[in-house]
Amino acid sequence: MLRHLFKLIWNKKGAHSLLIIEIWASFMVLFGVLSLIAFNLNNYLEPIGFEYKDVWVLDLSTNQDTVNLPEKSLRIMQRIRSYPEVISASRTSANTPFSANQMSNSSTYNKVSVSHDFYVTDEDFSKTLDLPLRKGRWYEESDISARFIPIVINKKMEDKLFANENPLGKLIKENDTLSYKIVGVVDKYKAKGEFMTDNPALFKMLKKEDWDRNVLIKVKPGTDANFEARLVKDIAAMTDQWGIEVSYLSESRKNRQNLTVIPVVIFLVICGFLLTNVALGLFGILNLNIAKRKNEIGLRRAMGATEGNVTTQFLGEIWVLATFSLIIGLIFAVQFPLMHVFDLNSEIYITAILASITVIYIIVTLCAWLPSRQASLIHPALALHED
Amino acid sequence: MLLNYIKIAWKVLLRHPFYTFITLFGISLTLTVLMVLTSFLDHIFGTHYPENKRFRSLYITSVTYTDSSRTTRSQGPASFRFLTQYAKSLKTPERVAISSMFGYTNAYVNGKRIKLNTKYTDADFWYVMDFEFLEGKPYNQQNIDNGDHVIVITDALRKQYFEDDGKPVIGRNVEIESIHYKVIGVVKGSPATRIYTYSDVYFPYTAPKSNYQSAGLRGNYIGIVLARNESDLPAIQKEFDSGIRKIPLPIVDFEQKYPVLIVQADKYLDHFLNALLRDDSLKNRFIFYSIAGFVLLMFMGLPAINLINVNVSRILERASEIGVRKAFGAPSKALLWQFIIENVFITFLGGFFALGLSFAIIQIINASGWIAYADLTINVSVFLVSMLVCLFFGLLSGVLPAFRMSRLRIAEALKV
Repeated sequence: MLRHLFKLIWNKKGAHSLLIIEIWASFMVLFGVLSLIAFNLNNYLEPIGFEYKDVWVLDLSTNQDTVNLPEKSLRIMQRIRSYPEVISASRTSANTPFSANQMSNSSTYNKVSVSHDFYVTDEDFSKTLDLPLRKGRWYEESDISARFIPIVINKKMEDKLFANENPLGKLIKENDTLSYKIVGVVDKYKAKGEFMTDNPALFKMLKKEDWDRNVLIKVKPGTDANFEARLVKDIAAMTDQWGIEVSYLSESRKNRQNLTVIPVVIFLVICGFLLTNVALGLFGILNLNIAKRKNEIGLRRAMGATEGNVTTQFLGEIWVLATFSLIIGLIFAVQFPLMHVFDLNSEIYITAILASITVIYIIVTLCAWLPSRQASLIHPALALHED
Repeated sequence: MLLNYIKIAWKVLLRHPFYTFITLFGISLTLTVLMVLTSFLDHIFGTHYPENKRFRSLYITSVTYTDSSRTTRSQGPASFRFLTQYAKSLKTPERVAISSMFGYTNAYVNGKRIKLNTKYTDADFWYVMDFEFLEGKPYNQQNIDNGDHVIVITDALRKQYFEDDGKPVIGRNVEIESIHYKVIGVVKGSPATRIYTYSDVYFPYTAPKSNYQSAGLRGNYIGIVLARNESDLPAIQKEFDSGIRKIPLPIVDFEQKYPVLIVQADKYLDHFLNALLRDDSLKNRFIFYSIAGFVLLMFMGLPAINLINVNVSRILERASEIGVRKAFGAPSKALLWQFIIENVFITFLGGFFALGLSFAIIQIINASGWIAYADLTINVSVFLVSMLVCLFFGLLSGVLPAFRMSRLRIAEALKV
């Protein structure tokens, strides 16, 4: 049966080559778009690991003021914590959740080096963002030592550096002069939101006397802009030259998400239109081709083939054709996981390949089914009569 | 004769509405995607309000410290001091505007929070940019020298902050971070995609918190150099570069020495391309380009293949018609003309739909507020070029097989 179908197609290879190119091109487009979607969906399905609701970000810029910054920031923190509306507040580096800022470095343990994102935060960070710990605890003021900086790492980092060992209490090195001591492990911290890949991450302690510009504030639910206005006014009164900006994490999360979602939607819409275009074209071509083979169908029916047999033959032909094109397409597509293009996980490409193959088969089946069904319903006497 | 051919074409189209639909769908869809895309690019890179002189402007947006092998680098906008010293002093340009990168702050009115984009500029900014003033006027050098607390706001902020009470707002106060600023002018806002001019509030650079005093080459400011005419641009770049070469090297920044300094005055599109491609290795760049090219080819090629496919399959349908026409003495040339006109006709029809469709999509985007103050327009030259491309594929796929068939012997053509 299969050999017969191959022969039928081979005999008309000139006419079919254009169809093969068309199906191949659709596969490639589909593969590209689905890889993009699979990558983002894969990330989206992993939780971000922290709670962003009712958390505000205070961005303080000192401008031309350079005197006694740590002291001033200490006073500001005291003031912020004194409001009854504030549940918890934490100072952090500029790479606050959902912001565009990124900080990365690499650290070594036992000659294994891993590059990671790092966040400089104070001891209230896990409380402010509800960041639960898998092992150990969050660092405290008492962990500070002259020899090392206390840190917390995430699970991904633990997996990369410590295969079976317990990471707690271990020292890792950033360079010859700087070491970190691990006091805790968190599960996940996807600071750039749902669509971020879960990268190795490290939190290092921001000491009381160090200055950094951002403050995360967890407020009681229902706190409104009136409190915010008061907060800004009070802080502005304490530091007349400083700039103060408040933003909500839930808002910045939405902006951040749009950065990923909008391009995906645009690609999806264009791809959808293209595939509709192809499907319509394919349907038209198959309709014409099958209509032209009426007497062939009549002959087969007269020889005792059932309606089902005829339908299967035409469907089989288009499946063989699609398989041809897909094999050519696969030759291109497998290069992506093999060559690690864009450094993506090969699972993503494989998912995309499988999904594209499925979609292509569904499209060609739908396009071929109706014409072949119609053709098979022709009465043999009628079909043979025409010539 | 021409009218006759068009009539035939029209009848042929109506005979199989479904196939006509497929062909038209393919043509108009491809053209629409192409046109919406180019109108986006034009929106971002073209010369539009308020940067109506962008075509004769150069942008100085980033100062890069690096070493000769480009392994360590430190990059950011320039300082006000640097721009005054090296850009303001240029002899060739007409004017040089200095403005800050956008900053953010909030204003509070009646328990409501208004998110604000802020920008600090000099007085020349208002000369180089063609902002339309709905009320009042821009601040001048005298306001700047006095350190007046005056601001120019956009119409959108006027509506939000003064809650649309209809009274003129000139001379009224806006409170930002506990400082009161007097509104001196209201401009029509610009889209957020014009990142060097977009803002809600414009302050004179001597207002508090502008950081124009910062020492060093890097800071928070960018310069826009306006040439008298477009042909002066290379001369200005040359003058600027020779000034930069006089800066003593290496540069010391945060206790690190950088032997190489890169500052360029680029045209708008160039400075984007440079920023995009500057730090990637050659191999990555090659991969990026080949994949981008492949994606584009696929997106544009697929409708073309589809068009060819449908046309080629349909031509057999016309075989008997060709045969009959030949039997009655039509020369091959006449047949060829008929098919050419038919194809041109259907392409124009598709182009007409595409024009309507892209116009509708662009209007929707402009009205949706997805980009505030969006002013997308249809680019006529792109439309014409893509029509030509469609025509090419249409002729290739429709006329060539038909022409071949017209050279068949009559008996064979009739038999099919």
